[in-house]
Amino acid sequence: MVFIIKTIFDYGALVFAFGFITPLTMQIITRAGIDLPFGLTPPMAGLILAAVWGGIAQYRGRWI
Amino acid sequence: MTDTLQAAFDTDLMRQEREIARRHIGKFPWISVTWAFVNLAVWLSLWPLVLTGTLSVWIAFPIATLNVMLCYLPSHEAQHDIIARPGDKLRWLNELVGHISTIPLVLPYRVARLTHLEHHKHTNHPELDPDYGTRASGPLAAIWNSIQNRQPGSESGPNAYAAALQRIGREDAMLEAVLSTLAFYVILFALAWSGFAIEAALLWWLPRHIGQTYIVYYLSWAPHHPAYEMGRYRNTRGFRAAFGNIASMGMQYHIVHHLHPRIPLIRTPRAFREMRDVLEARDCRLEDI
Repeated sequence: MVFIIKTIFDYGALVFAFGFITPLTMQIITRAGIDLPFGLTPPMAGLILAAVWGGIAQYRGRWI
Repeated sequence: MTDTLQAAFDTDLMRQEREIARRHIGKFPWISVTWAFVNLAVWLSLWPLVLTGTLSVWIAFPIATLNVMLCYLPSHEAQHDIIARPGDKLRWLNELVGHISTIPLVLPYRVARLTHLEHHKHTNHPELDPDYGTRASGPLAAIWNSIQNRQPGSESGPNAYAAALQRIGREDAMLEAVLSTLAFYVILFALAWSGFAIEAALLWWLPRHIGQTYIVYYLSWAPHHPAYEMGRYRNTRGFRAAFGNIASMGMQYHIVHHLHPRIPLIRTPRAFREMRDVLEARDCRLEDI
């Protein structure tokens, strides 16, 4: 149990990115009616943003 | 002044200070208690109102932000046993206010209490004051610093609190912090993946960040700035806040709180005015106030 919790916190930035930033991005794009380029769908855009921003935050230890 | 005269002078100042403090300690802080319950009720009521479409999330967002900004101080009164001391009839109310008021902040009462008492014991100490990381050169630096302290890799902010709890051997409280943080993110993620990501962001996630920045600014940075002195009469200052005493959550008179932590927040301005001569004689930092 301790190992699982520690792992979640160790990878907190990525967990937050896929757990929150992905659906948030999807819903902002959908509600705002934004047309995405290159045939991207809102879930794809959410996943890409989460992977890139979350990955950078995980590596650098900060979001901004 | 001879040593004997100085000692007599000090004793008289302390007597005056204590007499003034005694007049304010022990008064039931009904405003803080009401504030705790009303503030939490308003924040909780925003959820069904917004999720059912009764209230616009854009109207709810500033209200939720205000709720988070206001939620810490009632808990702060409880942390200092101002509502009721151990063994008192209303002790349960003290503990209840402490536990419930900081729910929007996701700050467990025991964590807040233990780390805050360490802050009082070691104010401005670089290694022992858990709030030392809020130190910054000016207002904008303080805001930026507060945001940086909450980044995943920061050693200040929540991590400084964890270090303080470990130092005083209260890992049990650390567990509470971990579990409440996990619960917060589970709720946030569940809401987000159920189609309420924007609502979760504007009712809790973003208000919590804004609230934390505001609380750290006025409750930690401003009253201790520049935070390099550690004496009883020099570690906290009286200051004139740009937006007044209410907008600064009463922190203009925070020096009175550090000298006598059991004076209720609502009474600190009056206690400050009565204590002013003593504070000046003690060479306290009273800046533009």
